[in-house]
Amino acid sequence: MSSPAFLNDLAVTPHDEDAITLHRVSAGYGDGPVLTDLSLRIHCGELVGMLGPNGAGKTTVLRVAMGLLVPAAGRVAVLGRPLDTAADRSWVRLRIGYVPQVQAPPALPITVADSVLLGRWGRSFRFLRRPTREDRALVRETLELVGMAELAARDLAALSGGQRQRAALARALVRRPRLLLMDEPTTYLDQEAQRDLVRLIERLHDQLNITTVVVTHGREAGWRFDRTVYLNDGGAA
Amino acid sequence: MNALVEMLAIPVIRNAFIGMLVAGATLSTLGVVIVSLHLMALRFTLMHVGLLGAAAGMSLGFSATAGAFVLVPVASVLMGTLGQRFRISASSMTGFFMTGSLAGAFLLLARAGVPAMDVFGIFAGNILMLGRLDVVLVAVLGVAVVLAFVIGYREIQAVLLDRDLALSLGVPVQAVVAGLFLLLGAAVALALRLVGALLVDAIILLPGMAALRFARGFGSALVLSSVFGVIACAGGFFVAVRFNLPIGASSAAVSSAILGLSAVVTCRK
Repeated sequence: MSSPAFLNDLAVTPHDEDAITLHRVSAGYGDGPVLTDLSLRIHCGELVGMLGPNGAGKTTVLRVAMGLLVPAAGRVAVLGRPLDTAADRSWVRLRIGYVPQVQAPPALPITVADSVLLGRWGRSFRFLRRPTREDRALVRETLELVGMAELAARDLAALSGGQRQRAALARALVRRPRLLLMDEPTTYLDQEAQRDLVRLIERLHDQLNITTVVVTHGREAGWRFDRTVYLNDGGAA
Repeated sequence: MNALVEMLAIPVIRNAFIGMLVAGATLSTLGVVIVSLHLMALRFTLMHVGLLGAAAGMSLGFSATAGAFVLVPVASVLMGTLGQRFRISASSMTGFFMTGSLAGAFLLLARAGVPAMDVFGIFAGNILMLGRLDVVLVAVLGVAVVLAFVIGYREIQAVLLDRDLALSLGVPVQAVVAGLFLLLGAAVALALRLVGALLVDAIILLPGMAALRFARGFGSALVLSSVFGVIACAGGFFVAVRFNLPIGASSAAVSSAILGLSAVVTCRK
């Protein structure tokens, strides 16, 4: 893939070594910008912690990287591809695994395996195309990877918060992503569940070498990041 | 039994029976959507908008069903669009539409001097006036609902599970939600004709609520709500014929009984 021209402005080396590049990005939700003139780079293979107070724009960075929020100004490239068009944003979404905060138990009855299978959406099935046997094999394999194989047939709503987060992690990993984005994955978990999840994510990062960005309030969960990016008032410090 | 067969030979009764059966089997699945997407207030608002549509239809001298059929889907899409564009909360939006519709309906009916029995028909339904065209409409909508679930099964499942998650996967959430709102709006408009504005929930909501108490997955929730919908509509129909009662109210009573029983059974588990 040819290098996006704006990356040259940053004078960076091999662009395919960058998983995320934000160049002077300003973005927000209509009530004023949340990110202002933010530039940052996340390198491939890194485990990066994104820290900062509430409202600093940590989640907004993830939304911009996933192509869910189009910046008002600046340029964004993810996995070497500039996010200029809707097609670019769709392309990148298929290559990203996303783990949100711990969610409340869902109102919809769904088994753990079925919820993980949804992670294959867009990768192998979508409207009118049904999941294949290979998809289901991948789900089993991924559930084993996160230590949830024996809970595959359980109702997602019946699990603890920590187990639901493992299922969410499995759903992100079953996409076979090149980039894993996590938005405060340990919030609302008790300390033991936090520790378990952090060790699991670190182990999987080492094992699978997937670029991983973790948004978190602080270091209380005992993360061992390769690098931390501190966001304050919409800019990186 | 013979009396029932004889009654079903009468076209008006047969149309009513088929209409109720198809609605029970198909439109009831939308209850799963209402509960999972927390659309209780929205469906209540749509019932009020349906009243306004029916009132407008009667006041202007055409069919009440047609008025509801046009206005309810339009309002459901409008509420979704306006809410997102102007960042108005769902509760504010539904409150506005609900009160405005009810006020508009009463003003229209009063101004046009619609007879009291016709107004009662809007509230309680008048299924024995169901014509062949109405039955065809119910069938077409029923097929549309089933097709939507077949074609977009995983997409709808993802949206019902978590909209943000569905967005992150690349699912066209806005299109899926708009489609569901449209189907819900059309279903409410048709159910108005079958059981009246006050009893729409008997077909659209209660079977889905009962199904969700037992279901282990999305598919089983849809199938169970369809089964409960058929039992409510057919059971209500038979009770009404046997005891000479209104069909809409009888179906609503059976539907309520199913939900009550399901609550008792699942609480004991």
